Amino acid sequence: MGSRSNISLILITFLLSITLLFSACLSYRFIRVVEGDEVVPPGDAFELGKTNLGDVLSVLGAPDKVAELEGKDLLLYERAVLQDSRLSLGIPLLDISGANIDLSGYGTLVLYDRLWLLFTPDRILRQMMFEKGSSHPYLKALFVED
Amino acid sequence: MTAFFSIIVCQVHDLGRATVAGMGTKRFEGENDMKSFISLSLIITLIAFISGCLLLGKNKEYQPFDTSGLDRLTPGRTMASEVTEMFGAPTEVVKLSNGNAYIYKRSLSKGTGLWLVIVSFGNYDTDCDQLVFFFDQNDVLRHYGVSLNAGKASYGLPF
Repeated sequence: MGSRSNISLILITFLLSITLLFSACLSYRFIRVVEGDEVVPPGDAFELGKTNLGDVLSVLGAPDKVAELEGKDLLLYERAVLQDSRLSLGIPLLDISGANIDLSGYGTLVLYDRLWLLFTPDRILRQMMFEKGSSHPYLKALFVED
Repeated sequence: MTAFFSIIVCQVHDLGRATVAGMGTKRFEGENDMKSFISLSLIITLIAFISGCLLLGKNKEYQPFDTSGLDRLTPGRTMASEVTEMFGAPTEVVKLSNGNAYIYKRSLSKGTGLWLVIVSFGNYDTDCDQLVFFFDQNDVLRHYGVSLNAGKASYGLPF
């Protein structure tokens, strides 16, 4: 019975050592950064040539950016979603061999939801565009080559 | 953590021994050792994976707006100077085709970090309170837009 107990203890010690060693070597990190509130698609709420700036502001609130583009006024509603994942595998051999083995891979993806509205100088809606970048799947967007 | 682990090891090991001594059969002894081993393996794995730390952080730019002043604004009558008296200096002034826009922005960010043994997660959420006033060339207020979303910034995990 004593030998069985010893074997159990050896196995436990071995398992603990492996777990701790493994934790030092392998790591995975995932970070998500969201900036801005959700951008709602305009749908049929706005009509080009008829909707004015006041109508847009009452529905969508304050824009994130305002700019002038060649005599026309631009309102931009934007939300940015950053996703970053990193997998690293490193074996700390510095004390033994003088060099460490370190393999790592990472992918960072920023997706934007944008509503772009262009107004004439008398502040009538002339053009609008909506893009929902955050609907693209993370892995697909990251690995597909354009 | 180490002390906690040692106590569990001793207790489970002693329990196995006592039970084995009472029963006196080799088969049961083997089963009991195996059970002890599995229990300990689970405990070790659990301890290794739940040991970590949690971080919550908050970043605030400026003070919240006093939106009670918005009721006193009348497009077509209110002047730019009245707006700056109410809300102070704008964060940004933009020259437009037919006037100017004054932008006021206050942001609130909340960050959450969770570190486990081999995995770590981070989440950073930023939302803003924004006021944008559109003036004509005579500095008369024509339109304004309000978005009060800073309160929506939240703590949480990234999934």
